Amino acid sequence: MAAPESTIMLTSSDGTDISVERQVAERSILIKNLLADLPGEATTEAIPIPNVNEPVLRKVIEWCDHHKKDPPASAEDDSDSRKKSTDIDEWDQKFMQVDQEMLFEIILAANYLDIKALLDVGCKTVANMIKGKSPDEIRKTFNIQNDFTPEEEDQIRRENEWAEDR
Amino acid sequence: MSNFKRSTLTGGAAAPSQRDSVLASLRQTKIVAPVKPVLPAELIATILDYLPVPELLRFARTAKRFREMVYDDTRWVQRIKSMGLWDEAEARRRFEEGVRRQREREKEEMARRAGVGGANGAGGAAGNGIAAEGKTPVTLFDAGVEEERIAQRRKTLEEGFADISLTANGSSDSTAGAAHRDPMVALKVLKSVRSIRGHARQEYGRVYGALAPYYLDLARSLSHTDPVLFRAFRDPEQQAQMLAQLKIFAKSDFAQGWHAREEKLETMIGIFENAVLREFEQGYDAGDYDGRMKRYAHVLVTLNGGVAGIDMFIQNHVLMQQKETLGRPLDCLPSVPNGSILLGPSHDFLGRLATALNEQGAVIDKVFPTSVEVLIPFVERVSEEILGEYLTTLFDEAHDRNVESYLKAVSGIFEQCLLFSDMIKPAKSSKDDFSVTIKQIIIRCFEPHIDLYLSEELDFFKKTSEAQVEAWEKRLFDEEASTESFFMANVNRQAAKRDFLTSFKKVVMMPVNVLPTIPLSSPFATSKPAAAQASSGSDALGLSSSRANTPLPDDRAPSPRQEAPTTELAAKAAIMNSRLEGIKSLFSIEIALNLIHATKSNIERAAVFAKIGGQTGEEAKEQCDAIFVQLLQILGTRHIKAGFDKAVNHLADYNPRNVAEHNQPGVAPLVTFLELVNVGDLIQQMVDVFYVQEMVTTKLTDRDDFLSPAVKEKKRFEQMLDERVAAGLNKGIDVLMDEVEYLCATIQQPTDFNPTASEQMMDIGTTQTATRIVDIVSSHTGMLTGSTDKNMLDVFNQEVGLRLFTALCKHLKRQRISIDGAIKLISDTNHYHAYISTLKNKSLTQYFDALRELSQIYLISPKHAKEIATIIADSDRYYGIFRAEEVYEFAERRADWFVVKRDVERAMYGIGCAVM
Repeated sequence: MAAPESTIMLTSSDGTDISVERQVAERSILIKNLLADLPGEATTEAIPIPNVNEPVLRKVIEWCDHHKKDPPASAEDDSDSRKKSTDIDEWDQKFMQVDQEMLFEIILAANYLDIKALLDVGCKTVANMIKGKSPDEIRKTFNIQNDFTPEEEDQIRRENEWAEDR
Repeated sequence: MSNFKRSTLTGGAAAPSQRDSVLASLRQTKIVAPVKPVLPAELIATILDYLPVPELLRFARTAKRFREMVYDDTRWVQRIKSMGLWDEAEARRRFEEGVRRQREREKEEMARRAGVGGANGAGGAAGNGIAAEGKTPVTLFDAGVEEERIAQRRKTLEEGFADISLTANGSSDSTAGAAHRDPMVALKVLKSVRSIRGHARQEYGRVYGALAPYYLDLARSLSHTDPVLFRAFRDPEQQAQMLAQLKIFAKSDFAQGWHAREEKLETMIGIFENAVLREFEQGYDAGDYDGRMKRYAHVLVTLNGGVAGIDMFIQNHVLMQQKETLGRPLDCLPSVPNGSILLGPSHDFLGRLATALNEQGAVIDKVFPTSVEVLIPFVERVSEEILGEYLTTLFDEAHDRNVESYLKAVSGIFEQCLLFSDMIKPAKSSKDDFSVTIKQIIIRCFEPHIDLYLSEELDFFKKTSEAQVEAWEKRLFDEEASTESFFMANVNRQAAKRDFLTSFKKVVMMPVNVLPTIPLSSPFATSKPAAAQASSGSDALGLSSSRANTPLPDDRAPSPRQEAPTTELAAKAAIMNSRLEGIKSLFSIEIALNLIHATKSNIERAAVFAKIGGQTGEEAKEQCDAIFVQLLQILGTRHIKAGFDKAVNHLADYNPRNVAEHNQPGVAPLVTFLELVNVGDLIQQMVDVFYVQEMVTTKLTDRDDFLSPAVKEKKRFEQMLDERVAAGLNKGIDVLMDEVEYLCATIQQPTDFNPTASEQMMDIGTTQTATRIVDIVSSHTGMLTGSTDKNMLDVFNQEVGLRLFTALCKHLKRQRISIDGAIKLISDTNHYHAYISTLKNKSLTQYFDALRELSQIYLISPKHAKEIATIIADSDRYYGIFRAEEVYEFAERRADWFVVKRDVERAMYGIGCAVM
């Protein structure tokens, strides 16, 4: 294994090479596993990341850089975090203040690169966007086409009236 | 804002592909050219996990695809599961039932559909899906059942809501009647949760509808007076129940901020609990067991199992403050540290404690509901605080003062505590294993002491027994100078000794006879005292009573109560002891008895702990083994072996020529040694009896376990004893024969067998020599009878006989025998023969038969020289023991040999010899 401070190259989908600290890049489980499988000298080659474009990749790397000291997520964390989500910390909140397209791109990239924590933060951000909105507003925000008849929609509302906040 | 617009635009393009769900996301990953981002279904599902319930359901209203996603049963099952209310078995049963009903329904429906098309009404769309797949009975139910249920629920909810807001506004009893219904439903809502697959959402909805308002309100409220809950429910019991439910409910709250909400809930519960505790405490102080205490104890149990209440009850219990009144530990220690311990005060102490505990058990029964176990933790605490402290103080003090009293205290009080644990009555709420649990608790009190105790026990035993042996050795050393004369004195007291030996032998024989029956008789001897209050004293008594009629030597010492010579044995043992002084210089049976007695009490004490079982029990057993091994080592190696070695050395040093007196029928060192053999054998039998009695029947050790150190050591002990005896006997025979030869050489007069003419025919009895020799030999062989095993005795006798035979032959060859003397010789040989035949050894008897025959050659008058020759040559006469040449040699001892020689030789060897 190379020394932790060594850098590797990532190539975004639009062909830009970005140099990253290995430790930072290894926040991505995908890259980490990839590097573990490669022989030592091969790490000098750029790794293509075909699904992520340059701005998104830079954004993801920024997040990874900030979180490089975090303890790696363990397997049991995986099932538990679904149950009890923690709140988003301040830096992440600020980090996620991007336009919605970018937000989705980040979530997709995090999903593809297998960065659990980033994916969680992204999903929570989206969840927060949904909060307090009426169905109509939600549709507008997420570009969902309403395929219910008004009666159907009303039925669902009535079905779940127990949950409405007072 | 501009961002937003852009997204709307791009979203427009994305929306259709989003609807094709999975495929779209798949394609997304393949396409190289950047396309507007759309989240795949699994990511949306993840996002949904972070939504609070109301938002989630609102999201369901946006599109059909999302409705399916939100309504997904697993999502709701998971929530119910997180509350710990999902019963998989029940769900499966219901599902199977559902499938069965579904089939029937389908049949019905088929029939109906023939008549009416699309009868499903509002749920038509869903109904189609079901008809096609048949695996989602959920929606089918939904269509029909759900409708009414929702309606019903809405009604209740609305009512509840109205009530709550009303009560919240402080409006009073006018609406109380209506208000009553919903809270009552809410109170039981968690209990009524059913596990129905496909209905998890409805079930959860029910719970949520009932509890969420209170929960969220509580989370939002600022002080403990705010929450609606405390106003909707007035009874502390109900409040507690609601809070307990909310606590469970909080576990299904996944949305962000759950942590803060849960904390808030915890604080509220804490505040509530404290208030209740205060009430409880006041009730407690007032002694209001049936009223306030009982009520608030129930409230606390409802709230969170009542741990706090139980703690408080136990912590502040009066018993804890009144420790002193129960008894002071140091009362048990006698003012003079003489190694004893008074168990009376501790017994009283435990009695009082048990009474107090039983009283408290009644109170606990009154105050606490039966669902919680209060008595056990209470006893635990009491035993820790009161008993533990008592024991520690007592044991520490005892340990400082005197190890022996410490040892007695530990095991005695442990016995008492076991009884004590039986005295505690179980409470109503106690489980079946109550007494076992109590016993364990009590035993736990002893655990810190047991290790020290066991090692002390061994140490103490080692020390005392070594001290005993050493003291004895020292005394012996001081008396060393006088030892020699002691031996001589012994010889003088031979008669007394012989007399003693007969009774001694009788005693010795006893254990051998008794041994086989011991395993039968001992169980009641040992189990009785164990069941009763078994201090070591009473145990010894039990043993003595069971064996009073079978005099066993080791019974003499064990207990002071047995000192009085009431039994035949005791009297005999007392006599025996005084007479055994002769061998005191070698080893002392008294020491052995003392050692065995000490071991017995030690092992009995330690054995109490072996009953505990488990690791401690094993340790105790090992310790008992170790004590026994220690006994054997000290008794065997230090004491007996040294004694035997000394005795053997004495034997080796014995030279009959150096000893002035030879009047007694015994060789002093040999007599001593033979007595030693007896005593050694006695001790060995004592050890054996002890082993069977104390170790095997009490199951402290397994007799068949050949790896057990006790068994190994016992074998070694016996082996050692046998070896010493064998070595000693070997030497003893030498000594005996030396003595015989000495006697032959000194006492036998040359005229005995060759009388001068004057004293001819004066006396035809045996010579003095023969009498003495027979006396001396028979006295020694006789001593061994019954003391060693038969084989060894046979070997010994055989050896003695043979050696005697050789010695006699040698002696004979030195004599000159006339025809007159031959009569004497014959009577001598007859005398020997008579003695030998008492040994009942066939081959040995033959030797002396031969000797008798041989002696007849001296009787033949010289006139019949030819006959002499015939007799010499007739080897059959001598059973092949003497060859002709040997007989010839004997014939040479004839006083008139030179007269008859020619004739005899001629007769034997014929003419040829005559020429020569």
